Amino acid sequence: MALLEIKNLSVDFKTRNGVVHAVRDVSYQIDTGQMLGIVGESGSGKSVGMLALMGLLAKNGSVVSGQMLFDGRDISPLAEEFHGDMKAYEKAMEEIRGVKIGMIFQDPMTYLNPVLKIGTQITEGIIKHDKCSKQEAKTRAIELMKQVGIPSPEDRFDQYPFEFSGGMRQRIVIAIALACRPRLIIADEPTTALDVTVQAQIIDLLKELAKEKNMAVIMITHDLGVVSMMCERVNIMYAGKIVETGSLDEIFYETKHPYTKGLLDSVGTHAGTGRQSLLSIPGTPPDLLKLHSGCAFMPRCREAMNICRDYQPAEVCFGADHCASCWHFCKDRADEIVKAQEG
Amino acid sequence: MREQEPVIKVRHLKKYFMANRHILKPSDYVKAVDDVSLEIYPGETVGLVGESGCGKSTLARSIIRIYEPTAGEVIYKGADITHLSNAKLRQYRNKMQMIFQDPYASLNPRYTVGEIIGEPMEIYRMYDKAGREAKVQELLELVGLKPDHISRYPHEFSGGQRQRIGIARTLALDPDFIICDEPISALDVSIQAQIINLLEKLQDERKLTYLFIAHDLTMVKHISHKIGVMYLGHLVEFGDADEVYSNPLHPYTRALLSAAPIADPKKARESKRIKLEGEVPSPIHAPEGCPFCTRCAECRPECRITPPIMANQDGHKVACFKYV
Ligand SMILES: Nc1ncnc2c1ncn2[C@@H]1O[C@H](COP(=O)(O)OP(=O)(O)OP(=O)(O)O)[C@@H](O)[C@H]1O
Ligand SMILES: Nc1ncnc2c1ncn2[C@@H]1O[C@H](COP(=O)(O)OP(=O)(O)OP(=O)(O)O)[C@@H](O)[C@H]1O
Ligand code: SF4
Ligand SMILES: [Mg+2]
Ligand SMILES: [Mg+2]
Repeated sequence: MALLEIKNLSVDFKTRNGVVHAVRDVSYQIDTGQMLGIVGESGSGKSVGMLALMGLLAKNGSVVSGQMLFDGRDISPLAEEFHGDMKAYEKAMEEIRGVKIGMIFQDPMTYLNPVLKIGTQITEGIIKHDKCSKQEAKTRAIELMKQVGIPSPEDRFDQYPFEFSGGMRQRIVIAIALACRPRLIIADEPTTALDVTVQAQIIDLLKELAKEKNMAVIMITHDLGVVSMMCERVNIMYAGKIVETGSLDEIFYETKHPYTKGLLDSVGTHAGTGRQSLLSIPGTPPDLLKLHSGCAFMPRCREAMNICRDYQPAEVCFGADHCASCWHFCKDRADEIVKAQEG
Repeated sequence: MREQEPVIKVRHLKKYFMANRHILKPSDYVKAVDDVSLEIYPGETVGLVGESGCGKSTLARSIIRIYEPTAGEVIYKGADITHLSNAKLRQYRNKMQMIFQDPYASLNPRYTVGEIIGEPMEIYRMYDKAGREAKVQELLELVGLKPDHISRYPHEFSGGQRQRIGIARTLALDPDFIICDEPISALDVSIQAQIINLLEKLQDERKLTYLFIAHDLTMVKHISHKIGVMYLGHLVEFGDADEVYSNPLHPYTRALLSAAPIADPKKARESKRIKLEGEVPSPIHAPEGCPFCTRCAECRPECRITPPIMANQDGHKVACFKYV
């Protein structure tokens, strides 16, 4: 059984200008010890999908359909278990959030309390969830600080966040996320604010934990380099949908979806030095309030056909777990797919 | 290229900030830029890389005199502009422009695109009204925006389009030297390449000279002819881009390049990263000798005493005792 299985998740936001379908019918799964990368442009629904999982959506947002099976238990607010009782749902999430599923956010300062000692912030969760003494929690906190690479943790335990550099603060946030030995870590762009040398250290640490503690990691990033360094599987998102999913090598070397191809071309990996221009994806990212009925990538797609404008392509799989949604791979079933969408 | 006069020549430039204005101890300076010398030739792009806080932006801002240099010289096309008064500097200011990281913050939200692009020309009293309008249209087209965008406001544009507006504004005064301080880091991956292509096209068409600052080493490599590597306020390596990337000399450059994420799983698996131990020292308490000695695996006793001077090997310069 997969550690986490997301089935047909859709998330909407009500806004003054209409309803934003931020996540649209997304399904994927992750096993214990696995490292999954989620890549996509700004606004493609990467963060919203994770916030929905954790029960942390903004007030105007809601899960409109789907299941989120964590260890076999549906933890969606729509799950049968809760019978629509949001108090029961909230109570269940409190036992999961930060305990079984840890989170690391982009900016450590929004997560750390500036007036609390670092040590206090790490031990808080340990005391609450392990029901242990302060002293035991401290021992464990220092051990964690050592693990995330903080030199002389005993001295650092009583310091405040401002006394730490950006890279060290991020490591503290990771230590807090690890404090209750979660089975899954969700890291939402944890390294964008860091230098490449510090970034590499943090990636090493996450890899080590995945291997030694069998912890699963979901890495949200726009950096295909980070993905190459650590992920085994990758989901590529565009305008709220997963447009391609596959193993790391399948995504990079057997690329199917035109958006994925465009992304790989634009990072310049394939370009040498010298001044031949980089291949780029023309146009601008989509406005979720003004999507047409067909493939959301159509206005920017080099390979678009007439059918792409009006109808959604169906997902087609090439290997066991390599799938893409693009009309180029489902043309032969066009009649059937179009009919289903018109009906 | 060598016979040409450099567009920008920087000699022993220093920029120190007061670390804490309340404690006036002479030692409490942030040595953000410490004794940097370099030359930038016409039509060439110099890429500047290095850890966050190593002084890249400060160096760039000191060159175009947004910051007053603490010591050293800045020479623009043979003219020493280091100590010019603001009035005298005016004739050079329009020739040296800057493109910023955050295209949104740098555009006035209450102005239309036309007003934003036309403003610098108005300030410099260039052309008459009709002439300015024609120029704005020309610039819009040049950066890939549509003529009817002229009457719209910045919030109606995406990040990449806003960066194009910023670039058009920068070009309004016909500069020949442009500092690009992380012009693409705030943009989506799919949009970054568009802006890089635009910058390269403009350079070719207008013989522009760039100082290009960015964290993405692949992009820097792509756009730059020369690369400068900074560490803790010092320029530690400088040379042709290909040469620096294929044959990095300074131990810090080697570590930096080896840690750069490679967007290619096979190459990423093969690559061997040089791990740096220890934290970056603070620029207030910089080491006495080589700035890198606290983290350098090859540090020798002499490295801790005085900073190494720049050694020049056929134009590939490096400040490290291994090469003295
Ligand atoms: N509270 C909200 N109200 C309305 N729309 C929202 C809200 N939160 C998110 N959205 C919309 O949902 C979409 C998905 O946003 P999300 O934050 O998941 O993007 P992302 O893929 O994480 O992007 P980024 O790379 O910029 O972090 C966006 O179009 C965003 O504008
Ligand atoms: N106006 C200022 N007053 C005081 N200190 C400053 C000022 N500007 C920069 N510094 C300090 O000077 C040093 C160099 O900063 P700078 O912004 O030049 O770094 P950078 O290389 O551009 O970093 P990044 O990659 O994060 O943009 C830093 O230690 C910074 O804190
Ligand atoms: S479905 Fe059509 S528009 Fe969408 S990615 Fe495929 S070819 Fe392009
Ligand atoms: Mg996000
Ligand atoms: Mg900077």
